[in-house]
Amino acid sequence: MSFRHLWAVTKKEINHILRDSYTLFLVLFTPTLLLLFMAYALTVDLKNIPIAVVDYDRSQISRAFVHQITAGQDLDLFAHVESMDEIEHLLMKGEIKAAVIISPKFSQDLFSLQGVPLQVIIDGTEPASGGFAVDHIGLRAEEFINDVLKEQFERRGVSLASLQPIDLRIRTWYNPSLKPRNDLIPGLISMVLGMPALSVALTMAHEREHGTMEQLMSTPIGRTELLLGKIFPYLLVGLTNVILIPALAMVWFKVPFNGSFPLFFFLSAIFLFAILSMGMIIGVFMRTQAAALALSFLLIFFPGFFLTGIFFPIASMPEIMRMESLVLPGTHYAVITRGIFLTGIGMETLWPYAIMLFGLGIVFTGIAVLFFRKKLG
Amino acid sequence: MLFGGVLELLLVAWATSRPISNLPLMILDQDQSAASREIVTALEKTGTFSLYAFVQSFDEIQDALDRGKVNAVIIIPSGFNESIVTTGGQPTLAVILNGAESIPATEALRAIEGVTREIGEKIIIQKLGLKSQDLASFNPSLRVWFNESLSEAYYTTPAELALMLEFTVLLFAALAFSRERELGTLEQLLVMPFTSLEIIIGKSIPVIIIGFFDFILMLTMIHFAFDVPVRGSLVLLLVLAFGYLLVELGKGLVISVISRTQHQAFLLVLLIGMVDFMFTGYAAPVESMPKVLQTIANIIPAHHWLFIVRGILLKGSGLDILWPNVLALAILGLIIGSASLIYVRRALD
Repeated sequence: MSFRHLWAVTKKEINHILRDSYTLFLVLFTPTLLLLFMAYALTVDLKNIPIAVVDYDRSQISRAFVHQITAGQDLDLFAHVESMDEIEHLLMKGEIKAAVIISPKFSQDLFSLQGVPLQVIIDGTEPASGGFAVDHIGLRAEEFINDVLKEQFERRGVSLASLQPIDLRIRTWYNPSLKPRNDLIPGLISMVLGMPALSVALTMAHEREHGTMEQLMSTPIGRTELLLGKIFPYLLVGLTNVILIPALAMVWFKVPFNGSFPLFFFLSAIFLFAILSMGMIIGVFMRTQAAALALSFLLIFFPGFFLTGIFFPIASMPEIMRMESLVLPGTHYAVITRGIFLTGIGMETLWPYAIMLFGLGIVFTGIAVLFFRKKLG
Repeated sequence: MLFGGVLELLLVAWATSRPISNLPLMILDQDQSAASREIVTALEKTGTFSLYAFVQSFDEIQDALDRGKVNAVIIIPSGFNESIVTTGGQPTLAVILNGAESIPATEALRAIEGVTREIGEKIIIQKLGLKSQDLASFNPSLRVWFNESLSEAYYTTPAELALMLEFTVLLFAALAFSRERELGTLEQLLVMPFTSLEIIIGKSIPVIIIGFFDFILMLTMIHFAFDVPVRGSLVLLLVLAFGYLLVELGKGLVISVISRTQHQAFLLVLLIGMVDFMFTGYAAPVESMPKVLQTIANIIPAHHWLFIVRGILLKGSGLDILWPNVLALAILGLIIGSASLIYVRRALD
């Protein structure tokens, strides 16, 4: 392979990009902007979730109960209503995410140890807020009820340390506050750094669409040189972002970085190799940019988002999807990114993933080169 | 291209619509008693976990967590059984969560707390000599509306459907003119005896047809593959889908004339799509966002669209509930639509 040829292609591609500064700006900064938007969208701390209460008991106890549940920022008492109809209406309009219904015998039953006539209704259409509301209502309710019950039991001569005898000592490693932000953002970073792959697919299809591919074929430049030369500028873009984006995440989002940056840089380069070559394959197969776009969304963007274990644990996926996630560079890179940011592990633990990424890169490049010859040979 | 969106939705929905399960769990059982075995069995039965390994040392725990091999570790201290049966005993369980994956960790914690609660109740029943029915009445009854079976698919697929429509239409519309411009065929188009309005309509029709067809296909698919119901009026849904489609079409056309190449158009669609995504409330509820953002959410068509989709599919909402959103869409549609028409015509002339 001639490096002179490789460099010629690279230079041409760089000129092409530079001439179109609008696109350059977009290509360079889309990953950053994407990260910003998605990080905000997905890591909002849940709070101010509106709920409504129907209190049929209207006793001091029930009022204290309502007060306890809505204290603090987590839940917002949207309205104190009088009937189930109003609750239904509010739930339908989406103005509340959950409702608590206190039956008329609430305090009576509680004091006589008959039970806790309490009903919680949650809006099952939104995953996050409904579950959050239930967790919090449940927690507060439990505390409240525990206190009352304990007192009542003691009056009857039964001493009970708590209604929940088993004490759970919980420690959370790597992310003590269990804020989704801390692990989702490295995950998003790993996804967003792969964006240049879409541009690679496009630029390959671009040549085909404009008919300039044949011109290139008639020059003494070889297939492999052409492919690699086209990737190279995007590799540079990617590497620039590898430096920029973690910096942004650390400064703006206060995400920790517990590992070694040179290692991260090195492993990111291998990742870029793997995912850019994925883009190459798409570019080789598609004849128009529109088709390359659609396919790269299908095979790179959406799987990168949903199947790489960033948001949905891979362990929970069906067998087939689990296997598919293994061939996505993003899956392995997500582990690497999370590992370096949060866990602070090093090469001795991450080497299998590095090998996997490198292997994928070789295979993808190989496929791209192979089919490139066939398609245009 | 036609079926790409449908296929994607199918795959994505399939992968994401299962409840979190099979999370690798590691156990260090220092008690090896009947009680500890009961805990382990109960944890297994939740379906949330899959037993990864029983270990003997803390080093193994450290290693597994560092490598990210497990999501949670339970340590049952020696003397656990003792502390349960003797009065005044204080049973403790130690849990270590792998915070590097917060979503599974939260779910794991939930499951563990559930098991602890159950077993705790059994202990109380024994100690107090109560019957289990007595204690049952101490748990508030929980009803989940609109999604009684707590099907994960109900949570995710309507939102994915709504977003798919947006992306498909935006993308195709954005490519409409930028493609011609890039290939240099735009001039040819402009010298033909069509008015710019006719050209716009001509370009829009394929997008509308494909978009609408895709929507129907995807809707049918999630209905049959994931049992997502259509509790409201199907006709209303289709009409509103068509309306929403036109709104996004307008946006897409503007993008297509301000972009000089398809590459640019695509990147713009990506960015705009992401902003919309953020405001739809798919992942995080809009209520938790700062007030400013909440207000902005109201002028994002996708925000209203998602509410409409969820409303009609899951809640059976009709116009009486949805009218504010429909009105908002209509107004936004008029503004975006007329702005884009004016802009595009001017750009073409």
